[in-house]
Amino acid sequence: MADPMRIRATVRDGVVNVKVLMSHEMETGQRKDAAGKLVPAHYIRSVSATYQGKTVLSAQWGPAIAKNPYLEFSFKGGQKGDKVVVTWEDNKGEKRSDEATIS
Amino acid sequence: MSRWVKWMAVAAAGLVCTQAAAQSRYPGVGRTATPAEIAAWDIDVRADFKGLPPGSGSVSRGEAVWEAKCASCHGSFGESNMFFPPIIGGTRAEDIVRGRVEALARPGEQRSTLMKLSQISTLWDYINRAMPFNAPKTLTADEVYALTAYILNQGDVVPANFVLTERNMAEVQQRLPNRNGLTRDHGLWETRGRPDVKAFACMANCGPEPRIVSQLPDHARGSHGDLAAQNRLIGPVRGVSLTQGAPAAAAVAAAPAARDPARDLAEKSGCLACHGAKQRVVGPALAEIAAKYRNDGGAEARLVAKVKSGGQGVWGNVPMPPSQLQEQDLRTLVRWILNTH
Ligand code: HEC
Ligand code: HEC
Repeated sequence: MADPMRIRATVRDGVVNVKVLMSHEMETGQRKDAAGKLVPAHYIRSVSATYQGKTVLSAQWGPAIAKNPYLEFSFKGGQKGDKVVVTWEDNKGEKRSDEATIS
Repeated sequence: MSRWVKWMAVAAAGLVCTQAAAQSRYPGVGRTATPAEIAAWDIDVRADFKGLPPGSGSVSRGEAVWEAKCASCHGSFGESNMFFPPIIGGTRAEDIVRGRVEALARPGEQRSTLMKLSQISTLWDYINRAMPFNAPKTLTADEVYALTAYILNQGDVVPANFVLTERNMAEVQQRLPNRNGLTRDHGLWETRGRPDVKAFACMANCGPEPRIVSQLPDHARGSHGDLAAQNRLIGPVRGVSLTQGAPAAAAVAAAPAARDPARDLAEKSGCLACHGAKQRVVGPALAEIAAKYRNDGGAEARLVAKVKSGGQGVWGNVPMPPSQLQEQDLRTLVRWILNTH
């Protein structure tokens, strides 16, 4: 299973700022290995973030995003102490969800 | 670690130990450093933790200090490779068990500080003496402990509730992912399976005096500009001067220019760490800034506000940190940049 994401969520003036570092190879499917064989594509295809069951971010990604992606976004109305959940799913159907408490 | 910082450390050590000799051999030259002067220089922390001041810092405090003082350059998770290779990343639980980072052996792998680090004292010492880059030596001992704890936690070396102190540094050393990774058996480059250089300190009977057997050919001398003018004015390395034969010009370049209070202020305020007169460092060259706003009457006020609040986007996406200086000083600096460059 993929390594956990690092997530940091902080609230200021009613706006929650979320920073996420994902651990993923993000293989484009265009690269060849030392033996000249194509390295199969392996990349995150969708990302979503929820707060109290409500989606606050939903994104469709592709192979143009670099290895170990960093994502930062903000949303209004979050409270200190509540949780933000971030989920990704890649083109092989692998999934990972992690959460952070808003501070 | 930065060559510059190492050099400073060597220079400081040299100063202290040659003092006594200087006194007797060259009467009237120099004086004995006062204990306070020595103490101000003597901040190094050794691998056996001699020199480590007492203090403590938690991971969560470290996270707060990191966000405030380090994340703008190194990224929130130490992942950024914008200024410098990432500080954090690439270490695994198995590495912590083995004390050897497996990914270092893989060619082409991005190498983070935490992957390479073999002594925890080095990380503590480096942060304490050299960071933040734009305001070194401004951190308290507790902040340095906290930042070190934060970096270690991000690499899963210590848990999130960990508090690092001078008393548990040695235990943490035993968990460093690359603690067994130090080798001296290699050079800068491998040539035919052997290191290109393998130097041993030699103090006596060290073999024949080196002789210069070849030099840069004449046609190549100027291809990188005047090397002498590009080197620091301290240390043994000078570079070839292309102004040889015109020693007066070289001397002018080497001697500090006549005192200019605005320039002194820029130097003292750390602006010159990021802005060269004609060269880009972290930020744009001062001459570039002056040229860009030459015919722009409103530029002064806008730039004063910009330097005060910091920001990015005009010259690229590298941010300039906000300045703590008074409005008056900022105005002096911006005028100096715009009018004399
Ligand atoms: C203005 C940008 C900037 C800020 C802010 C900054 N750094 Fe740095 N940092 C750098 C640069 C540039 C280097 C490389 C310096 C060199 O090699 O001379 C560096 C190097 C380092 C290294 C050494 C890495 C290695 O492997 O040698 C560490 C550790 C570090 N920084 C930690 C910190 C910490 C902790 C803070 C906050 C207190 C901080 N930095 C703030 C720019 C910055
Ligand atoms: C840590 C590095 C750093 C330090 C220290 C620093 N700067 Fe900058 N400076 C930058 C960067 C990076 C930019 C480019 C910002 C941008 O692209 O908007 C910049 C831009 C500027 C500009 C042009 C702004 C614009 O909008 O065109 C001025 C003027 C300036 N700096 C003056 C100063 C002065 C005065 C100081 C000292 C008080 C200072 N800087 C200290 C990094 C730095």
